[in-house]
Amino acid sequence: MIPSVDDSIPEDPIDFQLDNEISDLQDQISALKAQRSIQVSTILSSQSTRSTLNRLRVSQKQSKLSPTTTDTTPLLSTSTAQLVHTRENLYRLCAGITTFRIQDPDPNAVDDGKVLGLRIDVASTGKFVRPYYVMLNKPFAGSELLRVHRHTIPPCIPLSLLVDRYLPNGKGSAAMGSKEPGAKKQDLRRFARALRKEIVGYHNRVSVIKGLRKEFKLDEKVSRKGKGRERVIADISAADAEAKQVRIEWVDGRIGRCVVGDGGEVRKCVVIGEEGRDFETERRVARGAMEGIGERLREGIY
Amino acid sequence: MMSLLSVPTTSALPSSQLIPASHPAVTRILYRLTRPSLLSLVLDWLDERNQETSGPYLLSSDDEDDEQDFYPPASSLAALREIYTDLQARKGSKRDVVDRILEGDWRYGISLYQLAMADMQYLYDHPASQKWTALKIVRLSGEYIAPNDKEHPSIPRFHPATFLRNLQREALPDVKAHYNLDRHPTLPLLILRVFILESPYNTGLALHSAKERTTFDASKTFYVAFPDFSPYIYVSLAATSSSAPGSVSSSADNKSLRKLMLEGIPKAFSKPRDRFKLEGTSLSAKNLDVLVERRGGGRMNAAGGGWGVYAEDKKKESDNPLNVQLPTPESSILEDDQEDKDSAEKKSGMKRKRVEDPSVVKRRKLVARGRFGKSAKADDGKGIERLDVRLEDHFPTVSALADDDVEAEEGTEPARKDKKHKGRRSTITLELDRMEDVDELADDGWRPDIRITFHGQHVFAGIRELIEAGIVDGEKMPGWMTGEEGVSVGVVKDGRIRGNKGSGL
Repeated sequence: MIPSVDDSIPEDPIDFQLDNEISDLQDQISALKAQRSIQVSTILSSQSTRSTLNRLRVSQKQSKLSPTTTDTTPLLSTSTAQLVHTRENLYRLCAGITTFRIQDPDPNAVDDGKVLGLRIDVASTGKFVRPYYVMLNKPFAGSELLRVHRHTIPPCIPLSLLVDRYLPNGKGSAAMGSKEPGAKKQDLRRFARALRKEIVGYHNRVSVIKGLRKEFKLDEKVSRKGKGRERVIADISAADAEAKQVRIEWVDGRIGRCVVGDGGEVRKCVVIGEEGRDFETERRVARGAMEGIGERLREGIY
Repeated sequence: MMSLLSVPTTSALPSSQLIPASHPAVTRILYRLTRPSLLSLVLDWLDERNQETSGPYLLSSDDEDDEQDFYPPASSLAALREIYTDLQARKGSKRDVVDRILEGDWRYGISLYQLAMADMQYLYDHPASQKWTALKIVRLSGEYIAPNDKEHPSIPRFHPATFLRNLQREALPDVKAHYNLDRHPTLPLLILRVFILESPYNTGLALHSAKERTTFDASKTFYVAFPDFSPYIYVSLAATSSSAPGSVSSSADNKSLRKLMLEGIPKAFSKPRDRFKLEGTSLSAKNLDVLVERRGGGRMNAAGGGWGVYAEDKKKESDNPLNVQLPTPESSILEDDQEDKDSAEKKSGMKRKRVEDPSVVKRRKLVARGRFGKSAKADDGKGIERLDVRLEDHFPTVSALADDDVEAEEGTEPARKDKKHKGRRSTITLELDRMEDVDELADDGWRPDIRITFHGQHVFAGIRELIEAGIVDGEKMPGWMTGEEGVSVGVVKDGRIRGNKGSGL
C-alpha cells in the first residue's frame, strides 16, 4: 500500500499510512453526519412523530415536570420548521415559480428594504439546476411600480427585453391593478411566466445539443478497432450564448449552421461544403424539431 | 525576407513579419520573461503548427558548417527541441537563453507573432500588469426595434475571424496593426492583442523606420478581452507613464490611435441593421477574475456582495427542492471557524483596550456575513484595488453615529496601506480636515463635496475585516461599501450609488 517514494523527500511509510487512515475516517464521519441529518428530517417529517410529540406535550403539561422526562418543546419547533420546509419544497416542485420576501440589508435601501424574491426552479436532464432568482423592489416614491433590483439571470437570457415588455417603469407605465386607461401596465405574472419559459427553453436547447453529441459519440474517444460505423459528424456545438444556433461539422469538411426558434423548431439551416451548398442535407435538417436533427442526419447518411 | 518595394496598403501586418533580432525592443520584451516561461515559450515556437510564423534558423544542406559560429544551427526541429528541453532541465542564466535565441536560432529576426506570444506570456505571468476597464456592448437605440423582436440576441455574436476583418477595415490607412488572439489559460476569456504601427506600409522597412525607439513603445500595444457568452468586453487602459519630456506629442498620438481602435470595436461587432456601441460600466480593476465575475457570462453580474448567496455554487445542491434536510442555521456554521478568527485577530495586532466578548465577536461576524455573504474574502483573489466614491448626500442635521463610522473607515483603511502610498494619504487627510470644518457649519439642505478613495489589495475584503474587528458598524454601513453594486467609481446620493441600477438593466 506504500507508493514508490520520490527521491526528493523520503517519507515515513507509517506517517503516510496514518494520514490515509485519518482522511478515511474523516470521510466516514462526514458521510455518517449526512446520513444522520437525512434520518433526522425523515423522522421529523413523519406524521406519527408529530402526533407522538403532541401527545407527550399534553401529558407533560398535566403532570409536573420531572427531571427524567425530556422537554419536547424544541423537538416540536424543529418538527414545525421541517414541516414548513417540506411544504415550501412541495410548492417549488409543483409550481416552478415561487416568491418570498427579503429584507435588504442596506440601511439606505428604498421602500424600507422590502424586496420581493422570485425563485424559478428549472429541471434539466432529470435534475434540478440551481434556481434562478429575481429580486424586485418598489423604488419609486408614491407609486407601486416594480423594478428589478438584483437578479441571478445569466446574460444569455434576454431579461431586459422581458422587463421592457412586461415590467415597464418609464413614462406612461402603470402599476399592476391600476385602472388608468391607455397606460402600459406592469404584469408580474406574465413577466415571471415569460422569464421561466426563456430559461426552460435555454436549458432544453442545451440539453438537446448535449444529447446530439452523445448520439454521435462526440465526447468519446474514437475506438481504433473500427467497431460499429465510421464517424461522420465531427462536431456539434452551440454557436452562440443562447444556444439558438447550432454548428455542425462533418468529417468530410462540410460545415452547417442551423437557427433554432423559441419552440425548439429548426428554422433555417445552411450547409456548405467544398462543392458549395448541400441543399439536400439542409432541407433534411430544417424539417422539424431540434431534437430530431440526429435522426434526420442518420437517414441521410445510412 | 524584406521586400525592396513598399506599397501603401490597407491590410494588417502579417504575423510572419520579421523584426531584426538586434532590435532593442525584441531584447527588452524577451528579457521581461522569467527563464522557465521563456523556455516554454521557445518550445511553443518550435511546435510543428507554428513553423509558418515562428520557424527557427536551421542548417540546410547547402550551408557550410561555419567553425566560427558560436551557436551552430541545429539540423532539425526535433534536435532543436531537444536542446531547449535540456536547457529546461539544467540551471543557467536567462541571458544565455536570450543570447541563444537572438544570435543563434532566430538570428534573422523574430516574427511579430513571436513577439505577441512573448507579450501574452508576460501578461499571464503578471496578471496585475494591466488595468482593465469593463465596457458593455449595447445595441444603438432607435434603430429597428420591432415589437416582437426576438431575432436579435441580447449578446452580439462574436466570430473571431469576421471580427478581426471588420476591425481592420475600421483602421485608418496610415496605421497598421498586428492582431493576435489568444485563449486565457484559466479564465473563460479570449484576449486580443493589438499592436499599432504608424505607417502606411506593412513591410519590414516600415518596422525599421528611424523612430526605432518609439516603434515598439508599450503604449502602442493594447489588449481587448472578450469574455465568453457575455455582452461585455474589457479594454486595457493606457499605461500613462510617458516619463520622457520629449514624448508628449507621441503619447497624445498614441491616445488618439487607441481611441480610434476603441471606436472600431463596436463597429466591428455591427452588421447592417444591427448596430452596436460601447457603454461604460464604471468598473475597472487590475484583476481579471473580478471582472469575469461581475461582468461576465455568469450569474453574479447583478448579484454582488451579500446577494451573491443566491448566485453562488452551493455544495451538494442544498438549494434544491428535492432536498428534505433543513437548511443549517447560519449561527452554527460560524462555530467552526471561531478559532481561526481568534488567531487572526492576534496576528493583525490591532490594539483595542476592551476585552472581546466572544458573543460580540460572533455577532459581528454574522453581521459581516449578512452584508457580504461569501464575497470579499481576503484570499479569494477577486479584489479590486481602488474604489472612488463621491458623496452627494445632504449633510446630516443630527451629527449622528453614522457619520463617525464614515470617518473611521476613511482613516483606517488607507492608513493600513499608507506605507506604500504616501501620496494618497495627503489627499485623504485633506478630506478629513474638510469634514471636520464642515461639522460646525452644518446646515440643512447643504450637500458637501466629499470624495472617498479606498485603496488596497482587496478593498472590500478590507472593509469586511473592519466590520469583523468592530471598527465599522456593519448594520449601519451603506450598501455601496459591500461592493454589491459592482462598480469601482460612483456617485452616492441618498446613500445609494446614483444612476447605477444595480441589476444592470
